Amino acid sequence: MSGHDSKYFSTTKKGEIPELKEELNSQYKDKRKDAVKKVIAAMTVGKDVSSLFTDVVNCMQTENLELKKLVYLYLINYAKSQPDLAILAVNTFVKDSQDPNPLIRALAVRTMGCIRVDKITEYLCDPLQRCLKDDDPYVRKTAAICVAKLYDINAELVEDRGFLEALKDLISDNNPMVVANAVAALAEIQDSSVRPVFEITSHTLSKLLTALNECTEWGQVFILDSLSRYKAADAREAENIVERVTPRLQHANCAVVLSAVKIILLQMELITSTDVVRNLCKKMAPPLVTLLSAEPEIQYVALRNINLIVQKRPTILAHEIKVFFCKYNDPIYVKMEKLEIMIKLASDRNIDQVLLEFKEYATEVDVDFVRKAVRAIGRCAIKLERAAERCISVLLELIKIKVNYVVQEAIIVIKDIFRRYPNTYESIIATLCESLDTLDEPEAKASMIWIIGEYAERIDNADELLESFLETFPEEPALVQLQLLTATVKLFLKKPTEGPQQMIQAVLNNATVETDNPDLRDRAYIYWRLLSTDPEAAKDVVLAEKPVISDDSNQLDSSLLDELLANISTLSSVYHKPPESFVSRVKAAPRADDEEFADTAETGYSESPSQGVDGASPSSSVGTSSNVPVKQPAAGSPPAPAAMPDLLGDLMGMDNAIVPVDEPAPSSPPLPILLPSTTGQGLQISAQLTRRDGQIYYDISFENGTQGVLDGFMIQFNKNTFGLAAGEALKVPPLQPGTSARTLLQMVPFQNISPGAPNSLLQVAVKNNQQPVWYFNDKIPLHVFFVEDGKMERASFLEAWKSLPDDHEFTKELPGSVISSIDATVERLAASNVFFIAKRKNGNMDVLYLSAKMPRGIPFLIEITAAVGVPGVKCAVKTPNKEMVPLFFEAMEVLTK
Amino acid sequence: MISQFFVLSQRGDHIVFRDYRGEVPKGSAEIFFRKVKFWNDDEAEEAPPVFNVDGVNYIHVKVAGLFFVVTTMVNVSPSLLLELLQRIARVTKDYLGVLNEDSLRKNFILVYELLDEVIDFGYPQTTSTEVLKSYIFNEPIMVDAGRLPPLGPAAMFMQGTKRMPGTAVTKSVVANEPGGKKREEIFVDIIERISVTFSSSGYILTSEIDGTIQMKSYLTGNPEIRLALNEDLSIGRTGSSSYDYRSSSGGGAVILDDCNFHESVHLDSFDIDRTLTLIPPDGEFAVMNYRMTQEFKPPFRVTALIEEAGPSRADVLLKIRADFSANVTANTITVQMPVPSYTMRASFELEAGAVGQTTDFKEGSRRLEWNLKKIVGGSEHTLRAKLTFSQESHGNITKEAGPVNMNFTIPMYNASKLQVRYLQIAKKSKTYNPYRWVRYVTQANSYVARL
Repeated sequence: MSGHDSKYFSTTKKGEIPELKEELNSQYKDKRKDAVKKVIAAMTVGKDVSSLFTDVVNCMQTENLELKKLVYLYLINYAKSQPDLAILAVNTFVKDSQDPNPLIRALAVRTMGCIRVDKITEYLCDPLQRCLKDDDPYVRKTAAICVAKLYDINAELVEDRGFLEALKDLISDNNPMVVANAVAALAEIQDSSVRPVFEITSHTLSKLLTALNECTEWGQVFILDSLSRYKAADAREAENIVERVTPRLQHANCAVVLSAVKIILLQMELITSTDVVRNLCKKMAPPLVTLLSAEPEIQYVALRNINLIVQKRPTILAHEIKVFFCKYNDPIYVKMEKLEIMIKLASDRNIDQVLLEFKEYATEVDVDFVRKAVRAIGRCAIKLERAAERCISVLLELIKIKVNYVVQEAIIVIKDIFRRYPNTYESIIATLCESLDTLDEPEAKASMIWIIGEYAERIDNADELLESFLETFPEEPALVQLQLLTATVKLFLKKPTEGPQQMIQAVLNNATVETDNPDLRDRAYIYWRLLSTDPEAAKDVVLAEKPVISDDSNQLDSSLLDELLANISTLSSVYHKPPESFVSRVKAAPRADDEEFADTAETGYSESPSQGVDGASPSSSVGTSSNVPVKQPAAGSPPAPAAMPDLLGDLMGMDNAIVPVDEPAPSSPPLPILLPSTTGQGLQISAQLTRRDGQIYYDISFENGTQGVLDGFMIQFNKNTFGLAAGEALKVPPLQPGTSARTLLQMVPFQNISPGAPNSLLQVAVKNNQQPVWYFNDKIPLHVFFVEDGKMERASFLEAWKSLPDDHEFTKELPGSVISSIDATVERLAASNVFFIAKRKNGNMDVLYLSAKMPRGIPFLIEITAAVGVPGVKCAVKTPNKEMVPLFFEAMEVLTK
Repeated sequence: MISQFFVLSQRGDHIVFRDYRGEVPKGSAEIFFRKVKFWNDDEAEEAPPVFNVDGVNYIHVKVAGLFFVVTTMVNVSPSLLLELLQRIARVTKDYLGVLNEDSLRKNFILVYELLDEVIDFGYPQTTSTEVLKSYIFNEPIMVDAGRLPPLGPAAMFMQGTKRMPGTAVTKSVVANEPGGKKREEIFVDIIERISVTFSSSGYILTSEIDGTIQMKSYLTGNPEIRLALNEDLSIGRTGSSSYDYRSSSGGGAVILDDCNFHESVHLDSFDIDRTLTLIPPDGEFAVMNYRMTQEFKPPFRVTALIEEAGPSRADVLLKIRADFSANVTANTITVQMPVPSYTMRASFELEAGAVGQTTDFKEGSRRLEWNLKKIVGGSEHTLRAKLTFSQESHGNITKEAGPVNMNFTIPMYNASKLQVRYLQIAKKSKTYNPYRWVRYVTQANSYVARL
């Protein structure tokens, strides 16, 4: 009907804007519509048509939906730059929101929400309120999303006007589309709110599960994703949820399938029946495999997720390795991911098949893919001891093709294989040496040099080989220089003949005088001093036996893996990074105190130690092959000779010698006396439970006030709530009269657990050869159980806080406690593994959020409210284990005194 | 959720750009395009579909040579966004008939109207052409479809065969025919993409069929449809080893590994008599997707040989045999074979009387290419080539050449033997007799013979 829209792009010679203005005010409807189309066309190509604002808005009052939509499109675009004029449109919006036509009502609310002008939002509230209760589901579902829009602009307004409640009511709506949008809106609001907004109770749970079956595929994803935050109360409930979600695995939409997989995996953690778990694993396999029939883009996402899933539950896809074989026409990003999974699924059973594939890939065209395939063969060798020999023979076959990059990659992995199986496959060294001259990449060179140095005694012409590399020493990259240095030292120590002696002189000279690389120079000086001071010691150090490596490259550590698994089907699981690391948005933090919360939380992260600071895993780094701990010195500082003893001390690892644990630090405070000497016939016992280095110890001291020697001390603990018992024999030397001895006795929990309500009583019996058995009581401070990894990320804290029902929250006033400085308190609590997460200000009070964790994963989510310097602290805690709460408050009282 | 949606041409021009939340800094489309174009330092490597630049997440698919992109600032489900992008492309195509830069530009107002209904504040609302029809008021402007390559798997029906009503697939679902009246018709396409890997000795190492039953309905009044599949169809492999090929499957039951269905499909009687009932929504959609690893007879046997013939020469022999019935014809067949990188020249020798065959040595990618216009079932074709090297080979020439890769389309053939027994349309009146098109086609996905 409207001909070619593209004609709207054509321009006329005379003033375009005046002409449009005229047309916009035409008395003919069609002409006006065409004019608005032209305006929009101009707008989309970036022309400024904002001067026509009034004229366009005048076209808004029309019954013609097509025209109305066009005007709205224009409004959304320009309202921000013309807020005063936007007000002109308000009346029409309000009127439209009461139009008999539901499409117009919805359109009005939808568009108003998109105009991010404060003045407009005030007028939005009344229409929104009406539309949330509209008879037409299309209007209600649009209004539901509009609440999220408004929250983004003015959160306070949303809360004040009770829109959150209205949104929650919509969860019970009879239209599944409305439910889905309400869930999406609530989930978004929750993400930017500190307070619990959207809690899934068992009641909402069943509502959502019902809506799940009826709503659109997109709605299903919204619902499934919010369900994934629900923690089932027990195995039965978990099984029930899983049962309702499982049919989603058959959905044609991959997003629905992956979101369902996430829920099943999460709930499986709670399911105790191994049969059920096995059955679920079986059910998940075919849909996961089917994801690989989708478009390559989806395959990529699926593969990144499967990579995580097989790390946690390798059995699910153990028999499906063939589906991960690369197809000829897979995009490279899919091939790379498939290789990674093939390595993870490789086993003694299927390794022959897998090797055949890798061998094929290694002769393909794409260089990166070929390299990865060669490396994959090496990693299988390291992973599967029984297949190592077959892997190596494949590598040797590939070397023989003499394709430069294949050879280099093969040598890099063979170096790792040598480190995994020392003294097993050295017979192939001769073959490797044949390819020496083709090496031109630093990592391959460094690997080859390492091999020569490490096996210098078995390579007849090792000195010649190394010498050939030495010629170009100054030009080599640092990686190769460091290896050359170490290899030459090894050669010299193994064959201290004339040739190597000259070489070492040259190398040391090169590496100390003629380089400005501090690492190289320092390592060279260390060797130099070592060799000149004590060659035997040098041998002990340089030629010491090396730890055997394992294939842990690309293996995620378990806590990160768990976090990522909880994020299956999200971007986080594609990047293999926790969400905080790439989502920077702390949205809609309108209140000042919330802002501070966010800020301090941010610093909280940077303080926490980042994982893997010291970098490369052993199998991937050549640098670790030497046993010298290379410390990073201040750049450019000349190694003065006077520093020598320090250097040696450093070298021998003196400065990081472990402080013996059974010698309490001298400055530790006196222990509380539990058995006074009056009761103990002259023997005084003081003791206290304490936690050090992740272990619980009984710090106990004996003072002999008797006239004779006391010996043969033994100790026993009665059954107690935590089943604490001695983990070793008590080691107390015979005590001369007037002397005392103090020791740390390692304790183990969960041994002999006394039934009944938890209490902190610890009954102790001590005997010696001279006296009767002494009994005394001690108190178990709960904080000795707080584990070192009890720090929660802010997001998981919020999530955990929200997921726990309210009746798990307890509050207690601790009148004797006082916070004199927040920093000091935080530090002190952290020393007892109560970790600071965030703080905010509430009036003159400071609110601290902290977390602690008991073994077996019982978390404590803590909120402390206090005014600095004023005695009296309010402590609130949420934990799944209510019984521990009294003990917890006792502990907090001690820790905040 | 979604911050922005945009469509870029291959040159990076904005064709469609819609910002839903105003939170992503300006210039995101340019940042995206630069990143995709120069992924991994100018190398030809393809960018992954999901990546993050400066805190903005970019998710994209390529459809009909265009980039469909969304950006987001939060940790959302990327598979949701990828599915959505595919679906937006499909809905747009349903409306416009043809999806390309030209049709999008001509219909930009309709496209923006669609986008406002499909996504609200970044949340996908509906992608069903059927549902959208009640909210969309602009009419599509048709572009000349004749010269344009159509989109989607159904496009293959256009190639070289006159049996198909060629223009139907590029017909808009909503627009009226020039005559004013819509033709009542429904297309059911059984499309199978097969992957086979032959070992050097000709054994089948892996084989797989990815199938789709695709439907595109132009019926008015949305009548109910019954679609009956093979009665002996079964789902889920039994037995522990999934890949132990039973000695024979000829004429046996069709066993699917897994399948899924469109949400409009009712499976009430599926377990009893393998029929699907549905009220097809407007637009193109997949009624059912399935996957099969059960043994099937590959349509082509491929044999490839490379032998040294002197110090810097080699002979290549490629042979393909069409193992299907003589009344079926495969078309647009391409056979490619990578040869050693030091190959300088190749001379070809086609069989006597070869028609419609071309050969080429692609110097840049070091590949032999053999194109055949068509292959009739039961026939066999060979190609001989002589290679000249710039140096002596390393002695293991088979390792440096291959694998042979084959591309083809076979209309009216399906490898899985999955069939539509009948397609029943609930009758509105005695005279109501719409056109029913049930079409089969098999395409090579990864069809590879190793040397």
